Amino acid sequence: MAPDLHAALAAVVGPDHVRPVAGQHAWLVAPGSPAEVADVIRASAAAGAAVVPVGAGFRAARVKSLGDRARVHVATERLDQVIQLDEASLLCHVQAGLTGAALEQVLAPRGLSLGDYPPSILGSTIGGLIGVRTPGKSSARHGFFEDAVAGVSAVLADGRTIHTRVAPRRSTGPDLARALSGSEGTLGFITAAVLRIHRRPEVRLLAAFVLPSVDAAIAAAFLALREECAPAGLRIVDAAEARRHFPETALADGEAVVVAATAGPTDLAACDRDLIASAALAEGGRPADVALAERWWKRRLGLEPIPGPAPTFQVSAGPRHLAAAYHAIRAAVPGARLHVSRFDLDGAVLFATLVDEAGAALTGPAAAAAHAAAEAAATAAGAWLLGARPTAMAPYLAALRAALDPHGIMNPGALIDPV
Amino acid sequence: MVDADRVRRELEAVVGARRVSVRPGDLDTYARDMWPRLLLARRDGAAPTTLPTAVVWPETAREVAAIVRVARTLGVPIVPYGGGSGVCGGVVPIFGGITVDTKRMTAIRGFRRDEQVCDVEAGLSGERFERELARRGYTFGNFPSSIYCSTVGGWLATRAAGQLSTKYGKVEDRVAGLTMVTGTGDIVDTDGPRRAQGGPDWTQLVLGSEGTLGIITSARLRLAPAPQLRVFRGFEVPDVAAGIEALRRVLQRGLRPAVVRLYDELDTFVNSFGSHHADPAAVHFGHTHAPAPLPGEGALPPLPPRPAPPPTGALARLAHLAQRSTRQLRGDAFTALLDRPRLVNSVVGTVAERIARKGCKLIIGLEGARLRTEVEAALTFAELERAGARDLGEDPGRAWLARRYAVSYKMSPVFRDGAFVDTMEVAASWSQLTDLYYAVRAAIGRYAVVMAHFSHAYADGCSIYFTFVAHAGDRAASERRYDAIWKAGLEAATRVGGTISHHHGVGLLRGPYMHGEHREAMAILEAVKRSLDPDDVMNPGKLGLASARRSR
Repeated sequence: MAPDLHAALAAVVGPDHVRPVAGQHAWLVAPGSPAEVADVIRASAAAGAAVVPVGAGFRAARVKSLGDRARVHVATERLDQVIQLDEASLLCHVQAGLTGAALEQVLAPRGLSLGDYPPSILGSTIGGLIGVRTPGKSSARHGFFEDAVAGVSAVLADGRTIHTRVAPRRSTGPDLARALSGSEGTLGFITAAVLRIHRRPEVRLLAAFVLPSVDAAIAAAFLALREECAPAGLRIVDAAEARRHFPETALADGEAVVVAATAGPTDLAACDRDLIASAALAEGGRPADVALAERWWKRRLGLEPIPGPAPTFQVSAGPRHLAAAYHAIRAAVPGARLHVSRFDLDGAVLFATLVDEAGAALTGPAAAAAHAAAEAAATAAGAWLLGARPTAMAPYLAALRAALDPHGIMNPGALIDPV
Repeated sequence: MVDADRVRRELEAVVGARRVSVRPGDLDTYARDMWPRLLLARRDGAAPTTLPTAVVWPETAREVAAIVRVARTLGVPIVPYGGGSGVCGGVVPIFGGITVDTKRMTAIRGFRRDEQVCDVEAGLSGERFERELARRGYTFGNFPSSIYCSTVGGWLATRAAGQLSTKYGKVEDRVAGLTMVTGTGDIVDTDGPRRAQGGPDWTQLVLGSEGTLGIITSARLRLAPAPQLRVFRGFEVPDVAAGIEALRRVLQRGLRPAVVRLYDELDTFVNSFGSHHADPAAVHFGHTHAPAPLPGEGALPPLPPRPAPPPTGALARLAHLAQRSTRQLRGDAFTALLDRPRLVNSVVGTVAERIARKGCKLIIGLEGARLRTEVEAALTFAELERAGARDLGEDPGRAWLARRYAVSYKMSPVFRDGAFVDTMEVAASWSQLTDLYYAVRAAIGRYAVVMAHFSHAYADGCSIYFTFVAHAGDRAASERRYDAIWKAGLEAATRVGGTISHHHGVGLLRGPYMHGEHREAMAILEAVKRSLDPDDVMNPGKLGLASARRSR
């Protein structure tokens, strides 16, 4: 059967765009059009093979549980076209394989942008950004990345192509695009999307403050947000992390740095910056050198290297649990370095980097133990590990998958606990 | 055949005899909502074509779950019922069954200032919800004109929108999680903390499901602090196209006024007849400067004044009688005009432009935290003037604010005069919006006098709210004309790439047009239905979903 599948795939995408994965019962296929995606899925279904989407490859596909089952890894790299740019409506119809960076290159000369999202979205494909729901893609100005999705096109397990139609908002049943958003290729293979884009802000203003404690910094952040401040970026860096990221600042133990960027029409950006400043001062803070914020922003844009190592884990918490989660992690691993980012009124994300006393990253069993202790402490204090799923809906998700994909060919290893 | 007595007994076992009814009066009441097509039959004295088997008033999610299990066991459908203010027939029990009224579930449980959220039960009326929040210094920000007669659960089930949605969003933008009873009778929470979650967003798959997937019993909703400042202003633009462009520029600069309303020529003309000064609400507000939120009132209007008692003296009675016959004469002239809608649409449009010579009216209002609202207001007004809008000052804004709930209560006189009135709210991206306006206006205009305003604006598009008034001979002719208007209007909207509903929902009215709206993507909706309600217990035959049940 295997050679047949290879031949069938080659007949669809051409022999140059299909190759076996060495040592595995799997092929990597790169279709050149949504119609080819549909044919690849039909051919895979006929052979009983699993269809595993491949984006920019930042996240390893979940294939461990598939055992010896034949797999077709469908890459979106050739689906990289901007189909339509509607500048009047600020909508951009793009194929799923386009990366955030490539899209920005099309938008920037026109004074447009995807918006103020964390820079990690630049390396991902649009299909990956929509297909995988992660909190690393939220923006205090625009919301979560899925809020930017006005419509998606996808191929279902039976080879049918669907397009959820575009409207600013509608009241015609549930939001069907949201079924595909976060479905990790299990309900449909996303081939294109219509995204809400933004005009490049008229100005961007930066500011930095030193707060007497992380608790005060968190309080200041939510004080400003509740006054409707909508920063383009806001980050709290604790003293341990600041020593590495901003070595020139002499922070006392327990103090924290707040860096902020605001954007928009000049008056509004200034208003937002002033709201953050007055909140910081109200919580006992003092202004710091704006160069700190400039350095942070450059790193955020990828113009300057970020001092490693990368955060060990991330947890999310609501406004009233953030400080407790922070202190719990510090108590569990005294040398931990932390920063808080991705703020909105629902909460923020704590990024924990576990280091030993000398400042070097922990490795080996000690690291695993520290990691486990810190995670446990954080969740006990009311935080959530990223990627957690409510188990209550698991049977309904299984039923939904069965309804759309009765033979279980669509990324069958994904969204199944335990991961 | 459903054993009505068995249904009643089983329900009584769940909630007790006092909270179940099979009385004809109750069944009749719960057989309909405010769908104008049903009002045509009502005016004619016709009985509802289908009745629920029983009406039940649960008080807890647990009771709702038990009721759903009863229905599942007996093979009868469930129809959830909130305030009954829907305008699409979503609660009509087309296959009979158990109508579940949520209005005894009204608790506000978790109220958390630090997270700006609260847990509220589905049956709470919108007005009581907002008054309760206003008392604590907050607002949910959803102010539909039905706020006195709609429930929170109804809002969520239909993806409702209120008058201030341009700032606060539609209700689906403000939900942090739902508790629902599924069609299998299980109680589930659709969301944990949103930012930590993988998999599809079940909250967004349940919002707007109009009772076809389950019954929403409570929701965690996002709140905003009560506004510290409110600024309203009227503007005038040369024509609809100029007004659309002005609104687009405001929204795409990242500014978020709470209210935007652009009236087309006819709507502007009709609006100019309103006698604002005689309005008791306006007097009550007594504005002498920029309107500020009333203390403790949020954005709610004062309660309507009591009607004047009928006159007593002979002379007064005579005057009253004369007044009534004038009204009758006016009514006749009115219906005569409505029989020539195309003529009226073209003539009134031109006349309105000629006489008024003031183009289209635009109402814009901002509210919120003091500092940011001041800055946004200045930027918004400046942007409008740059786009060619002429500032009319605060009066038109104040007048709208004072009268904004009155409109829905003006339907009765039209029906009394033998005509009918309804509204059609559609939406599209900015680049399709002008096409949408002209296409739908022309489609409806063949059968009815039609006017429109643009409200609920977004960076990527806007909604258009058409109001149409028509007249036809008898009830059958009226229903035929009514159906023809909707068919023409909605098909025109689909043809130019608009959506067939922005915030009223689908119900029975738009069911036949759902396939045109979603096409192959209906497969997703059908799969979600099979997942949450495998036995088709929940509000069968609605939302354009096929049902194997037989009509009663």
